Amino acid sequence: MTQQQTEMVTVTINGQQVQAENGRLLIDVAEEMGIFVPRFCYHPGMKSVAVCRMCLVKVEGMPKLVPSCSTPVADGMVVETDTPEPAGAQEDMLEFLLINHPLDCPICDRGGECPLQDQTYAHGPGSSRFVEPKRTYEKALDISQLVVLDRERCVLCWRCVRFSDEVAGDRFIQLVDRGSGTQILTFSDEPFDSYFSGNTIQICPVGALTASTYRFVSRPWDLKAAPSVCSYCSVGCPTTNESRGDKLVRVQALPNENVNDFWICDKGRFGFHYVDAKDRLSTPLVRDGDDFRSATWGEAVAAAAEKLGGGKVGVIAGGHLTTEDAFAIQRLARKTIKTPHLDARIQDDGAAYERTLAYSGVVGSTATINDLDGARSIVWVGPDPKEVLPVLYLRLRKAVLDGGAKLIVVSPRRLSLDAFATHVIRCEPGGEANALSALTTTAPVKDDLAAPLVACWSPANPGRETGADLDSLLKVAVEKDARWLVCAPHAGSQGMLDMGVHPALESGYRPIDEPGMDTRAMLEAAAAGELDALIVVGADPISDFPNRNLAQAAMEKVGFSLVIELFPTETARLADVVLPSTAAPEIEGTLTNLERRLQKLEPLTKSPGTAREPWRAMADLARAMDDDWKWTSFADVWAAITKEVPTHQDLDVAALAQEVPPSALQYESGTEEQPGPRGPVVAGPGGQYPKGHRSGAPFKTASWPLSWELRQFEAKQRPGHIPDAPEAPEEKVGAGADAAAPMSGEGFVVYAGRQIYDEGAMVSRSSVLHALSKGAFVELNDEDAKELDVTDGDEVTLTAGNNEMTATVVIADISKGAVFVPYDQKGLRANELLGAGGRVKVAKA
Amino acid sequence: MIDETYMVLKRAREFPKDSWTLKRALDDGAYDNLKKAVTEISQADLIELVKNAGLRGKGGAGFPTGMKWSFVPKDVFPKYVVINHDEGEPGTFKDREIAERDPHQMIEGIAIAAYAVGANKAFIYCRGEFALGSRRMDRAIKEAYEKGFLGKGIFGSKFDLDIVLHRGAGAYICGEESALLDSLEGFRGQPRLKPPFPAIKGLYGQPTVVNNTETVSTLPHIVANGVDWFKGFGTEKSPGTKVFSVSGHVERPGNYEVAYGTTLDQLLDLAGGMKDGKTLKAIIPGGASAPLLTHADYALDFDSLKEAGTMLGSGAVVYMDETTCMVRNALVTTEFFAHESCGKCTPCREGTSWAVKVLRRVESGEGRQEDMDLLLDIANGMDGRSFCPLGDAASWALRSNVKLFREEFEAHVREGRCTFDGEHKELVGARSGIDTGISQQGDEGLGGEDRLS
Ligand SMILES: Cc1cc2nc3c(=O)[nH]c(=O)nc-3n(C[C@H](O)[C@H](O)[C@H](O)COP(=O)(O)O)c2cc1C
Ligand code: SF4
Ligand code: SF4
Ligand code: SF4
Ligand code: FES
Repeated sequence: MTQQQTEMVTVTINGQQVQAENGRLLIDVAEEMGIFVPRFCYHPGMKSVAVCRMCLVKVEGMPKLVPSCSTPVADGMVVETDTPEPAGAQEDMLEFLLINHPLDCPICDRGGECPLQDQTYAHGPGSSRFVEPKRTYEKALDISQLVVLDRERCVLCWRCVRFSDEVAGDRFIQLVDRGSGTQILTFSDEPFDSYFSGNTIQICPVGALTASTYRFVSRPWDLKAAPSVCSYCSVGCPTTNESRGDKLVRVQALPNENVNDFWICDKGRFGFHYVDAKDRLSTPLVRDGDDFRSATWGEAVAAAAEKLGGGKVGVIAGGHLTTEDAFAIQRLARKTIKTPHLDARIQDDGAAYERTLAYSGVVGSTATINDLDGARSIVWVGPDPKEVLPVLYLRLRKAVLDGGAKLIVVSPRRLSLDAFATHVIRCEPGGEANALSALTTTAPVKDDLAAPLVACWSPANPGRETGADLDSLLKVAVEKDARWLVCAPHAGSQGMLDMGVHPALESGYRPIDEPGMDTRAMLEAAAAGELDALIVVGADPISDFPNRNLAQAAMEKVGFSLVIELFPTETARLADVVLPSTAAPEIEGTLTNLERRLQKLEPLTKSPGTAREPWRAMADLARAMDDDWKWTSFADVWAAITKEVPTHQDLDVAALAQEVPPSALQYESGTEEQPGPRGPVVAGPGGQYPKGHRSGAPFKTASWPLSWELRQFEAKQRPGHIPDAPEAPEEKVGAGADAAAPMSGEGFVVYAGRQIYDEGAMVSRSSVLHALSKGAFVELNDEDAKELDVTDGDEVTLTAGNNEMTATVVIADISKGAVFVPYDQKGLRANELLGAGGRVKVAKA
Repeated sequence: MIDETYMVLKRAREFPKDSWTLKRALDDGAYDNLKKAVTEISQADLIELVKNAGLRGKGGAGFPTGMKWSFVPKDVFPKYVVINHDEGEPGTFKDREIAERDPHQMIEGIAIAAYAVGANKAFIYCRGEFALGSRRMDRAIKEAYEKGFLGKGIFGSKFDLDIVLHRGAGAYICGEESALLDSLEGFRGQPRLKPPFPAIKGLYGQPTVVNNTETVSTLPHIVANGVDWFKGFGTEKSPGTKVFSVSGHVERPGNYEVAYGTTLDQLLDLAGGMKDGKTLKAIIPGGASAPLLTHADYALDFDSLKEAGTMLGSGAVVYMDETTCMVRNALVTTEFFAHESCGKCTPCREGTSWAVKVLRRVESGEGRQEDMDLLLDIANGMDGRSFCPLGDAASWALRSNVKLFREEFEAHVREGRCTFDGEHKELVGARSGIDTGISQQGDEGLGGEDRLS
C-alpha cells in the first residue's frame, strides 16, 4: 500500500538536536531520544486529550508551557523538558494529583509498577502540604465480573473512558459529575459488559482499575514473566504471561503494532485458568475395560505404536497446536505411518482454504492486518469478528473510523461491524457467494470498491459449505487487484495448513496427486468400521464436529484410538490410549496467525506430571515405530522444518524471540547495576538504556522513570515473520465455485456461529469467563417471530431429527427463514442440530 | 459626568415599555439592516466591513469578530453560527437584558452573522436560568419566521436561515465556546482540545462561528451606519461601545452602555457613586475572572486594563467598599470556580477545591501562617497550566486577593477570626446572586404576562 512521503524537521530538545517527522507529537519524539516526559493521560494507542497536564514542557516563543502530548513538532522548535519551569509545573501537577490520593500503595495491586508511585518517588514532595480530609468514595466497586474500580485511586486520566469509546466502541465506563467530584463510573443499570474491558486495567496508570482475578494475588517484583502468544484465536495477539511461584497469575497484552496494537480481548486475558484446571491430564492413560489406568509415558507410547503399524490409520488434529506439533503430526502420518489421511479442519467441515492457492500460491492470507489501515475499502464476509476474532474487530474498526476505509459487510445476520459499515448486504445463509458476485456490478457498492482493497473471509458457519463464498470473494479480489485476509478458524490452523496437515496438500502448499480422506471421510470410515486406528491430537470432534452423532460413532467403532489432550474431553473418554499434553504457557513454540505471521512463545510455567508437547509425543511414537527422528529440543524440530518445508527454508527461528517489556517498576537508575527480575532492558532507537532496578531501591538520577509506553514502543520492534509465498501454480487447484446451497426444505435454516464465551474446553475451565457465556439463545427475524407468535425473551423449542432443545428468542436483524444458533452454548448443542441436516423446526415452547 | 452612549441598548432605553415587541422593533427600523445586508452587500464585503470596523468580541476574549469570521473555510458545508448566551460570569448580566428587552435586534444580528459566513443554521445557547429571556427570544423567533425574516429566501435573496433556541443546564463552563459546543451536541460540557478551533471544526465537526449575544447585537448598527461612524466611538484598538454590568456597593447597580475608553471613575459616577458615601476598596473590572484593581482611574478598554495587569473580560464591574472582607471575597470567588470547574484537568480540578478548603480555614479563623504562601503556590500551580482559561482565571482571582490584601489574610490568622465579623459581612456578588439592576431601572420590562411566575 502506498507510503506517504514524510517531511523531516529539526527540533532541539534539552540541547540535543534531532530530526523528526513533521507533525509527530513532541512527547514521542522526546521519548525516542531517551528523554522521558512524565505523563498520565497520554497513551500512544489513543488520541491525546491533554487533561492531566503532567507533560508540560517549555517551547521557546510560546507564552505558556505546552502539553507535549498534544503539541506536534515543528521545524526549529526549541524545547526544554527539565529546566526549572517545566520541572516545577510537573511537580505541581504531581502534588495536585496526590492531595486526594489515598496512598494505599501497600494494599494496591499496582504498587511496585505504578507510574504515580514511581513518579512520586522520583520527584514528589517528601511530605504533604494538604492537611484537610481527603476525598473519599466507597472503596472497591465490582463494575463487572472481571473489573474492580477504586475511585479514590483514580487520577482521572480518561484512559479507560477513551479506550472504551475510541478503541472498543462500547461506552460502558464514563466520567460522571464535575469539578473535584468528577469520578469514573459505569451506568447503574449496565455493568462494564465489554469483551475488551481488561485493557483498561492494563492501561490505568494507577490501581483504580484492577482485575478480579489478580486482586491481592502478587507483588510485581515476585512475578516471573515470559512473552507468549494467545492461542484462543487466529489473530495471535502477543501476550506477556506472568507467574508467581509456578502458577500462572496474569496475562497482559504485549504490544505489537503489526498485530494487536496495545490490546487483547478478555478471553485472551482472563481465559488462562484452564492450565490449572482440576481435571487437567497429567499422566498417560491406557484403557482398562470400561475405565482407564495410569501408565508411564513409555508404556503408553509402546501400546499405541503397536496399533499404528499397519492398516488404515487416520489423523485428526485440532486448531490450538503449534507449528512444531503440526510438522510432527504430518511427519508421523506421511513418513512413519505412511497414511495420506490427515486433516486439521474440524468445525469448518469442507471449508476450502486451498482455493486461495489458485489465486496466489499460498493457502491463506496475502494481506497483513496492517494493510487494513491503508485500505480504502474492506469487504467482510464471515462470522462476527467481535465474537470470533476480537482484536481483528478492533483493527477493522480502527481502519474504518481512523483510516477512513469503506467497509462492505455481506452476512445473513447483523454483525457488530454493521455499526460502522458503509454498505451492509443481508443475504440468506448460503447466498453469500451470489451476493459477493454482485458487488462489482451493483451501484452504489461498486463505486466504493476502490483500491487498495482488502477482502476478508473467515469460515463462518460450522456445518456449512463456505468454499463457494471464498471463491466468489477471491474473484472479486482478483478483479479489483486486492489482497485478502483469509482467516483460519483457530490459533494453530494456519500452521497446520503450512505444515501440510491436510489430506490434499503437503507442507509448503504442495498439492498431492492422490488426496487422502478429510475429517468427515475419516469419521465416516471409522463409524463404518473401516478404519483401523485414529489419532486425535488436541481435538474434540464429539463436541466440535458439526455432526455429533457421527463423531461419537466413529470413536466407538474405530479399531484403536489414541488421543493427545489437555483434558478428559468427550472424545478422550472413548479413546484407548490418552497422552497428556502441554498448554501454551508451558512451551517454547511458534504459532502462525491469520496473516501467516509466525510468532514465538516462550515457556513460563511447568506442565503437570509427565505431560509433553504433542511434537514430542509424535517423535516418541515414531521412535517406537523404529523411525528415530532424534529430536530432543525445539531447535531440533526447526532444523527439520527448515530442511523439509520449502516455504520455511530460510527461516531463522531464533530471530523470532520476543522480549517482555520490563515492567513499569523497573526504571532508569544512575549507577547501580541491578538487573531486574524480568530480563534486560532492551535498546530503544535512541540508544542503550541503563539497566533497570526495582522500585524501592534508592533513586539516583534527576530524570523521570521510563514509561511502560517506551517499552511498548520497543516491543513494537518484533514483527514476527511471514514466510514468502511460493509462486502461484500454473494450473488452478480447486478453482470454480460450487453452486451455493439453495434454501429449500422444511423448517428454518440453521445458521450457527461461535460466541466469544462458550462451552469450549479452555473457556469453560476459566471460571470467570464461563460465567459470562450467554447460554441458550437463538436469533429470529421479526417477521418469523410474529408468525411463530413469539417475542424477545420467549422460549422456543428447536427440533431436528431426534434432537430437541429449548432456547430463548432474541429478535434480530437476520435473513428471513434462518435461525441463528450459537455454537456450543450451555444447553444448546448446535452440532446435534446441524448433524440432522442443517434445518430445524422452531415452535413456541 | 459623562452620558451613556446607546447603541445596543438604544431601543431598550428609548422604549422601556415595549422594546421587545415586534411592533415596536419594526417601527424602530428592526430588520432593515438585515435586508440591506442580504440584498445589497456581498458576504465577502460584509466580513470586510466588520473587520474594518474593528468590532471585538464581547464575550470575554475580545477577539476581532471579522477576523474570526474570515477563518471559516468557504467551501465546507454545512456551517453553523452559535450564539453564546450562557452568560455565566459572575457579575455579568448584560446579555440577559439584551435578550429580554431587544430580542429582535439579537435575531437580526444573528442573521447578519450567518449570512456573512454562509451558515444556514444558527443556535442560541441560552443560559438555563434565563426564563423570561428565553421566552421572549422564542416568541421573537416565531414572529421573525412569520414575517419571513427567518426561513427560506430571506428578503427575496437566496439566503435561508433557521434558528434553534437551546437552553443549557446550568454550568458556567458551558460558556466556554468549545464546552458549549459539546453541551449543545448532548455531551458533558467540557472544553475541547484546540486546535482545531471551532471556526474550522466546531459543532458536529463543521465550521462554526461562536459569537456572544452583545457582539451580534452590535452588527445591525455597523451595517446601518458604516465603519467610520462606528470607529467614532471608543478607542483606536477598542472601537465602539460596551455594555458594562455594574454591581457591588454602588448607588444604582445596572447595565450602562458607554464608549470604550471610559474610565472606571466615570462609570462609577454613572452608577451614582459608592453606596452611602463609603470609600472604594477594590474593583473587579471584568468579571470574577479578572484580577482586582484598587483604584478607579483606569480606562475601560482592552489594552489599558491589560496593561494594568487585569482584563476587561465580559464587562462586569464590581465596586467594593471598605467594609468588604477580602478573605471572604477570595473565598466566594474561589468557591465559584471550584463549583464550576468541569473537572477535566488536574490543576483546576484539584487546585480550586484545595484552595477553597484552605480559604475556609483562614476565613473561619483556623488559618496558619504558611497558608498565604500555600495559596499563592496553589495559584501558581494552576496559572498557565490549566486546560482552559477557567483554571487560569481562578488562579488570577485568588492570587490578586492574597497579594493585594495579604495583611488582611494575616490578620485573620493572627486574630483567629474574621476581622470583619459583626460589621458588614455581606459580600459583593456573593453566592446569593447579584442584583441585576433591572428592577432598579424600572420594572416595565417585567410586566404583563411575561412576569416570571
Ligand atoms: C470559562 C469561560 C466561560 C465563558 N463564558 C462565556 C459566556 O458566558 N458568554 C460568552 O459570551 N462568552 C463566554 N466565554 C468566552 C467564549 O469562550 C468565547 O470566547 C465567546 O463566546 C466568543 O464570542 P465573542 O467573540 O463574540 O466574544 C467564556 C470563556 C471561558 C473560558
Ligand atoms: S480509572 Fe484509571 S484509567 Fe480510568 S481515569 Fe481513573 S486513573 Fe485513568
Ligand atoms: S483476539 Fe484472539 S488472539 Fe487476541 S487475545 Fe483475543 S482470543 Fe487471543
Ligand atoms: S481549567 Fe480544566 S477543569 Fe477547569 S474548567 Fe477548564 S478544562 Fe475544566
Ligand atoms: S496532559 Fe499530556 S500526558 Fe496528560
